[in-house]
Amino acid sequence: MSDPTIGFIALGMIFVGVLTGYPMAFTLLFIALVAGLAGFGEQVFYLLTYQFFGLMRNTTLAAIPLFLFMGYVLEQSGLMDRLFRALRMMLGRLNGSLYLIVLIVAVIMAAATGIVGASITVLGVMAAPIMQKCGYPTRMSAGTLAAGGTLGILIPPSIMLIVMGPVVGVPVADLFTAAIIPGLLLGGVYVAYTLFRSWLNPALGPPMTDDEVASTSMSHKLYELAVGVLPVLVIIGFTLGVIIFGIATPTDAAATGAFASFLLALGYRRLTWAKFRLCAHRTLEATAFILFLLAAANFFGAVFAKLGSAQVLTEYLASLPLGPVLMLIVMLAIVFVLGSPLEWIPIVLVVVPIFLPTVETMGFDPLWFSILVAVTLQTSWLTPPMALASYFLKGVVPNWSMGDIYIGMLQFVVLQLVVVGLLIAFPQLVLWLPAQT
Amino acid sequence: MSSDDRRLALMLRVIAILDMPARWVGKLTAWLIVPMILALVYEVFFRYVLNEPTIWAYDITYMLYAAMFMLGAAYALQTDSHVRADFLYNMLPVRYQAGIDAFFYILFFFPALAIFTWLTWHYAADSWQELERIPTSPWMPPIYPLKSVMPATGILLLIQGVSEVLKSLYMLITNERFRSQ
Repeated sequence: MSDPTIGFIALGMIFVGVLTGYPMAFTLLFIALVAGLAGFGEQVFYLLTYQFFGLMRNTTLAAIPLFLFMGYVLEQSGLMDRLFRALRMMLGRLNGSLYLIVLIVAVIMAAATGIVGASITVLGVMAAPIMQKCGYPTRMSAGTLAAGGTLGILIPPSIMLIVMGPVVGVPVADLFTAAIIPGLLLGGVYVAYTLFRSWLNPALGPPMTDDEVASTSMSHKLYELAVGVLPVLVIIGFTLGVIIFGIATPTDAAATGAFASFLLALGYRRLTWAKFRLCAHRTLEATAFILFLLAAANFFGAVFAKLGSAQVLTEYLASLPLGPVLMLIVMLAIVFVLGSPLEWIPIVLVVVPIFLPTVETMGFDPLWFSILVAVTLQTSWLTPPMALASYFLKGVVPNWSMGDIYIGMLQFVVLQLVVVGLLIAFPQLVLWLPAQT
Repeated sequence: MSSDDRRLALMLRVIAILDMPARWVGKLTAWLIVPMILALVYEVFFRYVLNEPTIWAYDITYMLYAAMFMLGAAYALQTDSHVRADFLYNMLPVRYQAGIDAFFYILFFFPALAIFTWLTWHYAADSWQELERIPTSPWMPPIYPLKSVMPATGILLLIQGVSEVLKSLYMLITNERFRSQ
């Protein structure tokens, strides 16, 4: 049996192994070890320690716990709740206003955390009861909350982009800059879609009643907006600004952002000792499972490459009689199909490196390609069978049926694919902003 | 109390004891985020404001970050935070879930982690023997403490793995979901 064949068998075993529901980090670790031993013997042992220790010394990835901590502190501080209420008082009379408000908060939240689970949980807790009370239909509400929550994976500081940077060999700061317009475009498309649907059919988004709106004065609204919202925006803007303008590394910026968020939450007197401890514990849990899976997938990717399987796949891809655009669509379709049962981590660390040589041969800009992959991977959160977003949503709104949540989310998957199409047709949407800094 | 009940009670006690190392190490490790933030904020201030960067901040950063995710891995196993593709798994009855877990712990987890621990043990031991330092850093800090984190992670995961197998066994016997105390 040739080495590349071993790699393909290993890939197949991983697919089956992952689908059993056993934690995939350990499945990857074991199968990579066995495949490596079968292919090139004891060298796999050096590869294992080398890959793990290499990851442990990666200062860029060290931004992950810092951004996670920042996100959890901002989540626990209840600042998003304040933002939500302020916006609601201002925009309440519009048809479908709650969709708009949810999406605005979602974009800000995405820029604050990049933790999809936290975003959906917070949005669901805040908005779902109000949406139900106002007579918003379940499917559209669920879809908006889930799709808004997943913006965090794209809008910087995105954990996925931090991981993608070293894999594709593009600075994380460039990826962050390039993701801004596509992220806002996605948010804008969601807003346009939900408001247009509510305008066509007002039953989809009944406005607030007059006495609800009249119960608060204009000056109070403005005060809430200023005190509740501005400091958060300043911190987020500053954190992202120093990264995007290349003043500080993402890790430096993440640490200062985390520190500033902590001071802000203290200033609002929202941070108790118990909440602080909870933030630290959650940060540890999330850091551990993300990075341990990253280390395992990274090890598997290295074994797979050393076996030569990656190269066989690459050569096969290159030999296909496809034009560049069709080739791109085939690669993104593979990401789309694999994204749902797997997770973004194995996709970014195992699948994307297989595509990279083809990307270079075809003359695609790696920055553009990375963002296309990132937007495509967003769909994996909303597409059954995995559809992780639905679990978070169901967790906070138990009375919504899983079926309604799925149907509600699928319309947003279509919107995401439309945006992928736009980005393919107009690469400048991705590439223009990075060229400016 | 029947003998079955006594056996289950004993099992729970053993599980509680086996859960301790990962939990305590995890809860302690969680606080490393604080020195990590402070070290970097200090560095940012001295580098960008006073233009006097430290020579130690980056080494400290990856050391703390690596210790966090490695030593936290067993704690994440205890809280069942490691990612599962569980859309099929969730449809199965409790006994089948427990069976799948027990099967993969014994077949995949223990061999892989035993090899990991054995390899990294020697990796760290060699480093201790040479009192190895990092040549690429101007600070040249000793690296053996960081390398020791690797076998420590392996051992913590192995202990936690035994506890998880016992939990699966408990679920197989009682047909009830295990709730950690």
